[in-house]
Amino acid sequence: MNENSPTPFEKRSRELFEESVGNVDMRVRSRLNQARHAAFAATTRPAARFLGVPLATPAAGLCAVALLAAGIWFAVPHGDRPMITAESQANFEDLDIVASAEESSGDTLEMLQDDADFYDWAAEKNSNPDGSNVG
Amino acid sequence: MQCFATLPDARLTWDVPIRAPGESALDQTRELDKFLADIERRAFRMAQIALRDVDDALDVVQDAMLKLVRNYAAKPAAEWRPLFYRILENGIRDLQRRRTVRGRLMAWMPGPKDDPDGDAQDPLESVADESPGVPQLLMQAQAMEQLEKSLRALPARQREAFMLRNFEGLDVAETASAMGCSEGSVKTHYSRAVHTLREELAEVWS
Repeated sequence: MNENSPTPFEKRSRELFEESVGNVDMRVRSRLNQARHAAFAATTRPAARFLGVPLATPAAGLCAVALLAAGIWFAVPHGDRPMITAESQANFEDLDIVASAEESSGDTLEMLQDDADFYDWAAEKNSNPDGSNVG
Repeated sequence: MQCFATLPDARLTWDVPIRAPGESALDQTRELDKFLADIERRAFRMAQIALRDVDDALDVVQDAMLKLVRNYAAKPAAEWRPLFYRILENGIRDLQRRRTVRGRLMAWMPGPKDDPDGDAQDPLESVADESPGVPQLLMQAQAMEQLEKSLRALPARQREAFMLRNFEGLDVAETASAMGCSEGSVKTHYSRAVHTLREELAEVWS
């Protein structure tokens, strides 16, 4: 559009547009009026807060996401995570003993034989509490 | 007495208009309200031409008002108009994109052949209003209808440039700000739009 002198076509189209603006019906005018008031009302309404912190902020969003992630992490059972407990520690020690026994040291075999003798004595003692058979 | 000697000074102080702390903000709000009241119907018509739907046009205008009031109320009043139209045009473009996506999705869905819910337009609504003494109005309405039809057929950027420059009277710099492009682009889009529209409407309007 030429800033100073619009062509007849430009002038005509603008007049038609102005005419159509003037013919906007009352229902639409009313709704536009309501929309304008609603826009101002929405800005004066206090923002939602939790413990004094506005909820609609990036920081609040990040906190919510972090809480949700923590909740999911602790709520879901983790079968894949390696768990080191006292029981598993004891098993490792047993393995060490067996492994060292497999090295066939004479002391170890002798120790195992002593244990067998002890268990036999204990069983006999239980079946005959008065100790009559004990030599 | 000494206390009367201080009176003239005090009166001088009272003569200066005192503004309450929130008064300038209130003035700004009133000014913005007036700006929106002046512009809302024109904005609605521009949105309606682009979207061809009253409710969608109202939604887009309301959204633009809300965003302007919420985010840009503190800006100088001279900047409101290009800002408002930039928000409005963005809203129109977003809605048109959503419609395109929805249209593609709906093309894959089987739809009812007839209208079981009775949502079809009332045939009476499409009957021309034959109030007496309206031939002139009717001609104008038809001319405007043709213009709207041709505007919708234009590429979006050309339509925006034409409506902002011609209908809304924004200068090249304001239009460039509203469209988010260079002034050179505005001039190109506008001249192409005028050329196309003039060719299409020359016979109809003659």
